[in-house]
Amino acid sequence: MIWIAIRMLTGDGQKFYGLVFGIAFSTLLITQQLTIFVNLIERGASSVYNVPTADVWVMDEVSRTTDVNYPMASTALDRVRSVPGVEWAVPHLRAGASVRSGDGDLEGVSIVGVDDATLIGLPLRMVTGSADVLSQPDSVIIDDVGVARLFEDGRSPIEERLELNDQRAVIRAVADAIPSFTSQVTLYTKYSQALRYVPGTRNRLSFVLVGASPGVTAGELATRIEAATGLRARTRDQFARDGVDFIIQNTGIPLNFGITVALGFIVGVAIVGLTFSLFIRDNIKQFGALKAIGVTNAKIGRMVAAQAGLVGLIGYGLGVVGTVLFIWSFSANPTFKGFYIPWQIPLISLVAVALILALTGWLALRNVLRTEPASVFR
Amino acid sequence: MVIDWRNLSISRQILPAIAVIGLVIAALFIFSGLPDRALAEPEREPARAPADLANKARVAGSGVVEPSSELIQVGSAVSGLVTDVRVDPGDRVLAGQVLFVVDDRIARSILREADAAIVQARAAISEARSARTTAARQLALYRSVDDPAAVSRAEVIRAEGEASAANERLRLAQAQLQAAQARAASARTEIDRLVVRAPIAGEILTVNIRKGEFVSTQGGGNAQAFIEMGQTQPLHVRIDIDEEQAPRVALGKPATVSPRGAAERQVRANFVRAEPLVVPKRSLTNSAAERVDVRVLQVIYELPASDGLFRVGQQVDAYIPAGSAAK
Repeated sequence: MIWIAIRMLTGDGQKFYGLVFGIAFSTLLITQQLTIFVNLIERGASSVYNVPTADVWVMDEVSRTTDVNYPMASTALDRVRSVPGVEWAVPHLRAGASVRSGDGDLEGVSIVGVDDATLIGLPLRMVTGSADVLSQPDSVIIDDVGVARLFEDGRSPIEERLELNDQRAVIRAVADAIPSFTSQVTLYTKYSQALRYVPGTRNRLSFVLVGASPGVTAGELATRIEAATGLRARTRDQFARDGVDFIIQNTGIPLNFGITVALGFIVGVAIVGLTFSLFIRDNIKQFGALKAIGVTNAKIGRMVAAQAGLVGLIGYGLGVVGTVLFIWSFSANPTFKGFYIPWQIPLISLVAVALILALTGWLALRNVLRTEPASVFR
Repeated sequence: MVIDWRNLSISRQILPAIAVIGLVIAALFIFSGLPDRALAEPEREPARAPADLANKARVAGSGVVEPSSELIQVGSAVSGLVTDVRVDPGDRVLAGQVLFVVDDRIARSILREADAAIVQARAAISEARSARTTAARQLALYRSVDDPAAVSRAEVIRAEGEASAANERLRLAQAQLQAAQARAASARTEIDRLVVRAPIAGEILTVNIRKGEFVSTQGGGNAQAFIEMGQTQPLHVRIDIDEEQAPRVALGKPATVSPRGAAERQVRANFVRAEPLVVPKRSLTNSAAERVDVRVLQVIYELPASDGLFRVGQQVDAYIPAGSAAK
């Protein structure tokens, strides 16, 4: 009986492909736009996730994100170290600066100063070179997006000289880092070196990165640090969330992407709903005949559900594959570096597809259920 | 349902199969592409609180290693050219050992002059003595003559005058000798001052002068110390503690100290004293325009003997137990 339903569905090629296209298109639109949206706003958290070792970030009370920060006095480090449950704490500097490249161009960069002794605060992986190059004088490590921005002609950045605050900086390695929201060039260097590269204000220490002792959770430790020092302490996830929230609050991105996703849903409902209703209406005689030979309403419901399920499976599959192909084909582009499809998003679009099909199927089915077997003779 | 290959339907069989395979591949892609956000342990050992303080009230500070005598910047009492440097960095010296010598030619010529003057004064003394003897004998001869007609009164007066003049000349010559001796002594003192000696026993840490350079008594400005030395057995460490944390420090308790870059090698350092004066924190950023409003209490601890782990001027991290009253 289900097989008859499937044959009925695929019998009319035009309508079948229309249905599949409708579902595939709205799946693609919803999945792809949600993916880009999530990745885009997660750029606000990339600076936090680029530091693989810190459980807790400590900052001045008024600091909001990695880029919107207010430096503290240098003794804040010792105050944080004094808190029980702090396994280790190291200084971390983040500030903006202007760099003059070898060919005289001006480029805004963010300088990240990592602890001199332990190099805590560097990204986990390097594309070229290793973190040890920082022990050489005047060394900086550039991030791979920075290479694309500063060296557009494709030459190797290694051993290139830059000028920062009248000081010499030599690029000696390239870090594998997720770019920030603004895709600014990021230069990593030692804390003591960063102090020279960043034009001076009295207080320079932007963050203190903290590792928690075994047995102390990051959240508990953050609360303890806040109570003991009066500074603002955020766990890694909280601080990443802060960066995302900052973008949500200060840009129109969520609204724009929300509109696109809603459009995808509406287009899906419109196309699929119309086609499905037409299809059912065309086949209303067949349903009537089935009813006449004693097929129950429940069985007919199942038949329509099977039709919707097949259309949904093919359409959804193609839509998701389309999104995967999109992300995969752009993965080499530095603008899309680090883009991924969060596993929740295909589930969300699956729910959306199910909703579209349930809604349109139910609308179409209403007519069938009301059909009397006699209609076949009319 | 048997698959009939001759009658394979695109819409009924191939498309669903493509969709399912596509979904599986997509799922693999999605799960392999999820970002790695696991926390990692730091590759190099950061400074950690010692095990016995890990979950107790404590105060952390950073500081600099210094000699137990503090750093002595040896100066020169006189200015001049350096003619000899007798020590090298790293030498251990005793109190009073010669460090360097300043050009002493002028002082030596003054000494020679004074010595010559001594000889001259001595000669003058013996000359005056013989003159006095002659005069005394002449006078005695005249006095022994009883016949007043034999010696005129005038002769006697002249002889008396000569005798007393000879006495005066002797005294003058003696005074000249004393003056010359005093001059020689002061020249010797000057020569001695041109030799710069170690004020205490200790280790030479830097030598910033070389033969032929000019040392000046005028310090100040960016002038480097000529020689820096200090007692490095034992070493001390001067820990800066934020004034806000200062009341919590348990003074008298030993501290756990580790050098920067070798945080896993922690040592126990015994309390020496706390400086009575709270001073502005010296930040080691080398910026001339640096201004600070953070004040720190400086607490001094004695480092145990450790072969080369700690060196003078090195930065260290320290953990000190907090007082029991403080929370």
